[in-house]
Amino acid sequence: MTSQADQSTTFASLGHQLGVRRIFTVLQEVREEGGHPLDRPVRQAAAVAVLSNPWSGTGVYQDLGERTRDVAPVLAKLLTDRLLVALGGKDAIQTFGKAALVGTDGELEHAAALIHTPYFGNLVREMLGGTAIICFTDGRSEPGPDLKVPLWHKTTAGLRDYYQTIDLHLPDAPHPDEICVIAAASDGPRPFPRIGDRQTDPDVDTTILKGLLS
Amino acid sequence: MRIRKVTTIVEEILGEGGREVDPTARVAVVAAVIDNPWAGEGFVEDLAPGIDAVASDLGAVLAPRVMEALGAPLEAYGKAAIVGIDGEIEHGSALIHTLKFGNHFRDAANASTLLPAVEKRGLAGATFDIPLKHFTDATIRSHHQTTEVRIADAPHPHEIVIALAGATRGRPQQRLADLSTER
Repeated sequence: MTSQADQSTTFASLGHQLGVRRIFTVLQEVREEGGHPLDRPVRQAAAVAVLSNPWSGTGVYQDLGERTRDVAPVLAKLLTDRLLVALGGKDAIQTFGKAALVGTDGELEHAAALIHTPYFGNLVREMLGGTAIICFTDGRSEPGPDLKVPLWHKTTAGLRDYYQTIDLHLPDAPHPDEICVIAAASDGPRPFPRIGDRQTDPDVDTTILKGLLS
Repeated sequence: MRIRKVTTIVEEILGEGGREVDPTARVAVVAAVIDNPWAGEGFVEDLAPGIDAVASDLGAVLAPRVMEALGAPLEAYGKAAIVGIDGEIEHGSALIHTLKFGNHFRDAANASTLLPAVEKRGLAGATFDIPLKHFTDATIRSHHQTTEVRIADAPHPHEIVIALAGATRGRPQQRLADLSTER
């Protein structure tokens, strides 16, 4: 989980110039579930950048485009680099997800700007070798929240075995004038997936409720 | 020893107090979630057999992972034991307050001091703070620091979370006078 490449160091200083205060990377390796060992541990990872809100002190009519173009691609690079190191490269990565939490002085739209445009999403998708839309969560928070970031398959979003979340804690962030931007990924499906898939589902609709109450 | 889950956290601190931190400070934590060796046994007077069965193996799993995650020489370190609510705090203390556990970390980090620790009982997802001190001289004030951790979904009532933490340097922007200047 180290960033040894010179390029990463360069992007880290660039990140700092753009307001990044901290980056943390969480790798979770689950070896057993329901009391049974997994044949292969499932590894989930998330990388979190804590940065100054680029639009701190601006109003709801502020154009967000220019700063989004400056900041979001660098965040995408910083975060995906760490996911790739944590999980062993893009071929090992099977799912992805993203999130943004804006501090209490910011707008939800500020969080959205940094993850919901091509300047972030397209780069994350390309660098992790995916083709699907990236699932997400976003919101506003005091520092120190717990949050769950959804993940689904990077090329086939409908693969139910891969629906999962990574559970994160963000110590001391986001401050009121900050934003936390998160990219996440995993190298496998849920432990012991066995709830079928769209191909195996029977037809289900509300008629199933009829006759339940007498 | 069964390990249900291993969590690794690497923090890179690029700025603090509005100024750049150069070189970037790195803090790494590796936590293992294990079954409490004394779960369901009531009050066990002699903890030594359980310690012998688990503590050294645990240190051997965690120490190299912290060093790898840190990716740079270690200058400060600490440890943690968070016991699920069916266990005793003494169970966690038993596993971390033994040379059989800590020496793995000291050897891997070329360290010599005792590891500062947090021991507490908590629900799954409890937040805890791991204290870190300098790896060869625990009086070096610049290296007193703390890292905040929460392991999702652990410890369950019959489990224990055991963690090691390391840092590549003292506090970001540390600027307190040395202890000796107050004497």
